[in-house]
Amino acid sequence: MSEAAGGGDSPHDGGLDSGRRQPFPSTSRNGAVPEHQQRRLAGGRGRQRAAGAANEGVDGEEEESDEEPSQDSERSAGGSEPDGENTDRRMLRHQYRQLINRVQQNREDMLSSKSNSLTEALQEANKLFSGVSQAREAALDAQFLVLASNLGKEKANELHSEMTVFDSPAFAEDLLTFMGLNRLEEEENNSDDEGITGGFLPTNAWHKLGAEAERYFRRSPSFHYMLGSFKSDPPVPRQRIERQKKKGGTEEKRAMPAQLKKMEESHQEATEKEVERILGLLQTYFTDDPNTPISFFDFVIDPNSFARTVENIFHVSFIIRDGFARIKLDQDKLPVIEPSGEEEGRENDQSAQVRNQVVISLSHQDWKDIVETFEITEPMIPPPGISQENES
Amino acid sequence: MAPKRCSKWPDPSQEEGLAQEEEEEDFALTQRSSQVQRNLQRLSGAQVDQKVSELVQFLLVKDQKKIPIKRADILKNIIKDYKDVYPEIINRAGRTLQQVFGLRLVEIDTKHHVYILVSDLVRLEGENLKQDHLTARLGLLTVILSFIYMRGNSAKESDVWDMLKRLGVEPRKPHKLFGDVKKLVTVEFVQQKYLEYNRLPSTDPAEFELQWGPRAAKETSRMQILQFVAKIQSKDPKTWSTQYSEAAAEVLSCSSSPPGDVGGDSQGPRRRKPSVSSSSPHGAL
Repeated sequence: MSEAAGGGDSPHDGGLDSGRRQPFPSTSRNGAVPEHQQRRLAGGRGRQRAAGAANEGVDGEEEESDEEPSQDSERSAGGSEPDGENTDRRMLRHQYRQLINRVQQNREDMLSSKSNSLTEALQEANKLFSGVSQAREAALDAQFLVLASNLGKEKANELHSEMTVFDSPAFAEDLLTFMGLNRLEEEENNSDDEGITGGFLPTNAWHKLGAEAERYFRRSPSFHYMLGSFKSDPPVPRQRIERQKKKGGTEEKRAMPAQLKKMEESHQEATEKEVERILGLLQTYFTDDPNTPISFFDFVIDPNSFARTVENIFHVSFIIRDGFARIKLDQDKLPVIEPSGEEEGRENDQSAQVRNQVVISLSHQDWKDIVETFEITEPMIPPPGISQENES
Repeated sequence: MAPKRCSKWPDPSQEEGLAQEEEEEDFALTQRSSQVQRNLQRLSGAQVDQKVSELVQFLLVKDQKKIPIKRADILKNIIKDYKDVYPEIINRAGRTLQQVFGLRLVEIDTKHHVYILVSDLVRLEGENLKQDHLTARLGLLTVILSFIYMRGNSAKESDVWDMLKRLGVEPRKPHKLFGDVKKLVTVEFVQQKYLEYNRLPSTDPAEFELQWGPRAAKETSRMQILQFVAKIQSKDPKTWSTQYSEAAAEVLSCSSSPPGDVGGDSQGPRRRKPSVSSSSPHGAL
């Protein structure tokens, strides 16, 4: 830093801006003080005086006053209106900012021990400072100075550690070698995957490095329970319940249709089947003996079972209702039954034939009496169980 | 940037920053041992033992993620009503950890009272059978720590990335192993106190520098990392004379029982350097 300052000073000895940096002003200008002070006040440059006061002692003021005549002449050359002044100042600030940006952008270059760019930047700032008259630009100058001094500090540090230079590119290369880099001979690999020019790292590269690194650490091993932590599991039983329900459901469904079938058979189809069977029997008997109506009692009575007799009468009544057979009274006033031709019966039923409703009551004793009187030994209508067995 | 020297006594200037409440709590928790002994007598041995066991388990579990454990959490979750005997409990927990698990409970921040666990045992050859993503991360961390140290204990973030790029690790590209590397380095490692991530003053856009964190200082040492670098580059560690002398100085200054060790009977050798050994009865365990 001191080196740079020295470099800054030498070409500017006697220059206008050296006033700020040189601690000892030249004495030849003492006499001009009061006059210039007046001019300064008249010119309304109180700020400059304050800036001047910031410098050490009265001498600084004198140096400031040194600058005045030349500045005045400059200003008169450029026009002493405030506009001209502002333009200059704006220009100055712009130049300062440019300088600061440049230094920041080229930080690496500035820090390099091989380049003088930091020194050059300081010299440039020196030049710029010659035009500074107000605090705003001075603040920019101060900002630059802070930046430059930080850089200077870093640069000095690097000087120190240059004794044992740490070559980080070589370190990186050695690391890659340790990790097992598969180097390629051709330059084909600038793969985006790895971003390493000249080779591929194996997948366990970092693990290998980490394993070596672990030896230099005293890391506490992570503590984990061997069998994991306790977790309650409510979901499982719910699933089981669901499965059981489903199973039960299907079984029930299977059971349902089977039962329904049986029920239907027993209730509905059974009656119809019986009726049809009896009609068939009646017609069979009549074809054998066409002109003789069958005694009703002979037909329906089952000497073996009263219940079946009642059922037979029940079924025969359907036949009569539907018009497939007729019951008449014969000469002896006993009921006889005979099938009617299909077409005859229906037509007659619809138009002329009188339909009578008869209620037959038959008690157990009546049944026994009839069986005795008519000497019925066998049922003309065989019981349904036997016939089914025969059929099956 | 002189090497950080581990001070034997907590810096008195640090305590100025404590808030009023913290000071009061601190006072309650750091009573003199005589007061603590009196408080102990009011409680049964079994009660205190229970609390010690709970604290040991708590510390072991909290250490899984390597994020330092705060005293406030300990008080809230474990100690609760036993605050007045806190010093006794924490000391005994530290002793248990050392004697049973070979772990040291270290307070890395005496102002905010933050603890970590560090292994107390010498590493044996062929020890690392389990290599997982944490191993890989440690590799990355070691590279960064080496770089920082060899560059004078501090490195600019941009310089670190420049070096990592040579190894195929970039801040803005998702890495196959590490994922969001920038987050890993500047957030996770910092949370775990392996690294410190500080903003450089008067830089615009903001630039940052990386330094060793307190956990790194406890889990390894400058000498260890220098040995690592030497091994990788197949050179003698004395090749880097500045770094070597710095590391040697650190070893000498930290040779006695380091501060912040809880349950702290003097420890066995922290470093592998045979010249520096303070054997203790517990070393044999």
